[in-house]
Amino acid sequence: MKHESVETNAGLLIVLTLAVISVGGLVEIVPLFYIDDTVEEVDGVRPYTPLEQRGRDIYIREGCYACHSQMVRPFRDEMLRYGNYSLAAESQYDYPFQWGSKRTGPDLARVGGKYSNEWQVQHLIDPQSLVPESIMPGYPWLAETPLDMSDLEDRMIALKRVGVPYSLTEEEYERNVEKYGEEHARMFDINRAEENLIEQAQAENFDGNSATITEMDAIVAYMQVLGTMVDFSEYDDGHFAEFR
Amino acid sequence: MSQAATTAGAAPAASVASTEQYNYAIVKKFAVAAVLWGVFGMAAGVWIASQLAWPFLNFDIAQITFGRFRPVHTTAVIFGFGGNALFATSYYVVQRTCHARLWNDSLASFTFYGWNLALILGVISYMAGITQGREYAEFNWQIDLIILVTWVVYFLVFTMTLLRRNQPHIYVANWFFMSFILATALLHIFNNIEVPVGLFNPQSYPMFSGVQDAMRQWWYGHNAVGFFLTAAFLGMMYYFVPKQAGRPIYSYKLSIIHFWALIFLYMWVGAHHLHWTALPDWVSTLAATFSILLLLPSWGGMINGIMTLSGAWDKLRTDPIMLFLITALAFYGMSTFEGPMMSLKSVNALSHYTDWTVGHVHSGALGWVAMISFGSLYHLIPRLWNVNLFSLKLVYVHFFLATVGIVLYITAMWVAGIGQGLMLRAFDQYGNLAYTFTESVVFLHQPYVVRAIGGGLFLLGMVIMAFNIFMTVRSGIKAEARARQEAIEAEARTA
Amino acid sequence: MLSLWEWIQDMGNSKTLALILFMSTFVGVVIYLFASPRRARKFETYRYIPLDDDDSHREPTTSRRDKTESDEQ
Repeated sequence: MKHESVETNAGLLIVLTLAVISVGGLVEIVPLFYIDDTVEEVDGVRPYTPLEQRGRDIYIREGCYACHSQMVRPFRDEMLRYGNYSLAAESQYDYPFQWGSKRTGPDLARVGGKYSNEWQVQHLIDPQSLVPESIMPGYPWLAETPLDMSDLEDRMIALKRVGVPYSLTEEEYERNVEKYGEEHARMFDINRAEENLIEQAQAENFDGNSATITEMDAIVAYMQVLGTMVDFSEYDDGHFAEFR
Repeated sequence: MSQAATTAGAAPAASVASTEQYNYAIVKKFAVAAVLWGVFGMAAGVWIASQLAWPFLNFDIAQITFGRFRPVHTTAVIFGFGGNALFATSYYVVQRTCHARLWNDSLASFTFYGWNLALILGVISYMAGITQGREYAEFNWQIDLIILVTWVVYFLVFTMTLLRRNQPHIYVANWFFMSFILATALLHIFNNIEVPVGLFNPQSYPMFSGVQDAMRQWWYGHNAVGFFLTAAFLGMMYYFVPKQAGRPIYSYKLSIIHFWALIFLYMWVGAHHLHWTALPDWVSTLAATFSILLLLPSWGGMINGIMTLSGAWDKLRTDPIMLFLITALAFYGMSTFEGPMMSLKSVNALSHYTDWTVGHVHSGALGWVAMISFGSLYHLIPRLWNVNLFSLKLVYVHFFLATVGIVLYITAMWVAGIGQGLMLRAFDQYGNLAYTFTESVVFLHQPYVVRAIGGGLFLLGMVIMAFNIFMTVRSGIKAEARARQEAIEAEARTA
Repeated sequence: MLSLWEWIQDMGNSKTLALILFMSTFVGVVIYLFASPRRARKFETYRYIPLDDDDSHREPTTSRRDKTESDEQ
């Protein structure tokens, strides 16, 4: 084929260009869906409860990812500062992923359990009151806005469609009981999503205000679960190195 | 087709003829929109930069907090300023190098309204908290569909115009524009495969999660840089640099080689945004390798552009528009050297997640993308309205402000990024971390102030440009009205 | 067919194959562009496409530019 026909034929130019630009993406992306090592098997990783998932939605809505990563890299300083490096499996129910690209604030992949609920709430309302040097904006409206639960089931159904194992049928529920235990499986039941959400919010009362369930309840519930699902003391040092 | 027939014949004598021969109306709309989005987007940028330096500027108002306002800035400058400038120049270049009028006026103007409607809806929705949470692709799914339809129409208009050409050879600028249109379609579709929560619900969840989603997003993210912000602007360069210089491009053979190499290599490098993450190692190693290779075609383009001026360097002393174009190429060369360097895993370990990345992006975005657009628009707009530029002196002022602004910006970000990277990995003599994260934030204050000032100067230059363009267009419209008046009077006299 | 698939799955093999393919395509393009002087010359004529579209505007711009220059002097 002559290059001349390429530069004088728009159709050919289009086809060739498409072919050339497709190679790189195909070679790098397609194998990720087939190679087993992409996501390692780990105990403990589970889907988010309805309250945590709603918290995650709010995290995304406020654009937290613009300043906070959720990906601890395997370096000594990061592991001292944040904890064990992140595993692929830990974000397997993250739709979308929130690894981030910039740390204007610290990494949040393992922030769960590091601070009390009270600290998180106060920090979100007025960061400078706890960390005077902080340049984080305040999010006082989270504590004042009741959590919107109107489309909760639709959200969970959409998540189920893309691959989160929430259950709608008895059969799916039983499967979850087997995999995650009854306590968790109950939380993943779409039929009782709202009940579950209210139950978790009232039981743990994240925002210190038991009267209403606010967006603050949801986002703190999400923050407190981040990075806590895998119990790293169960694994030997270097166990995960082979997956890197 | 009758227009095409006349074009093929003798050259049109006056430019009045060329406004009829070509569809300038659509180019005018996009060019003006580009300037307006530029002012808005850069102002948004200065605003969020100031928020980082002085956090009280968030005012506890949800709609303007940094997290919600950053996508407003990125969308307005990349898709608003850059996108409209690309529509304007691609529609202009394809007509002039094919010697054919743009195909279908109404579809062309549909792309104008579709594109800008999507952007305005996007900006409003980000502030309202509606976002997909995917960087540079935050539009929710309904807006994604508007963009998709607009883009397909853009592809049609561009391709049909190519097919109507009265010039056997497709000039290389159009190859770059074509690759940009195709790649952007591919990227947009694949990165936005989502499952909506409901038909009237703006919320949706992506098809993939975790590692796969990360790979998809950064394949998109980097190729948005590669095709939207690089290949397309190279198309702009291949027309406006030779045109403004009045000399042909340095080497056409080089342009062919570097075109194919560039579009092939770019698609491999996205994963260098995910070094040291949970992404399998082989992918990021592959991406790093191709990133290094990418230096060659990138510099091929730079050399081709700059050498166009070889033997006529004195133009740089007399022509501020040329100054913009050539400085843009110099910044392009610089940031395409910095990029491969930062994609090395050892360098990336330090630079990633810091402001060095932000500085790198802006040396490309301000230095290359914005500067080449400024030069092209200054060349283009007087021709569209068939007048002279209101003031060349103001172009000099703009150039000066923009250059000083960029230099302040990127040096501040080098200091901030490398400084913070070093602080965070420093250990004291007992093997403990030497600094807390908060201490590194304190260190960043001064660079952030300098960055905001640099950005402010760049914005000031943009405002001056908008004034200059406004005055130019106004005189063009007046002259047009006067000509029309005279024509009517002349007709009345003969009658 | 299956054995070919297994052979290509080995990273060592696929890397080599890809390198050979891409390299030969690249060398092919280079040879195509530079081998025949006649073809090379033809390519270089395309450089003039942007310049031969009769941009009637150039005259006023130049005169304006000259004026600004003399203003500065």
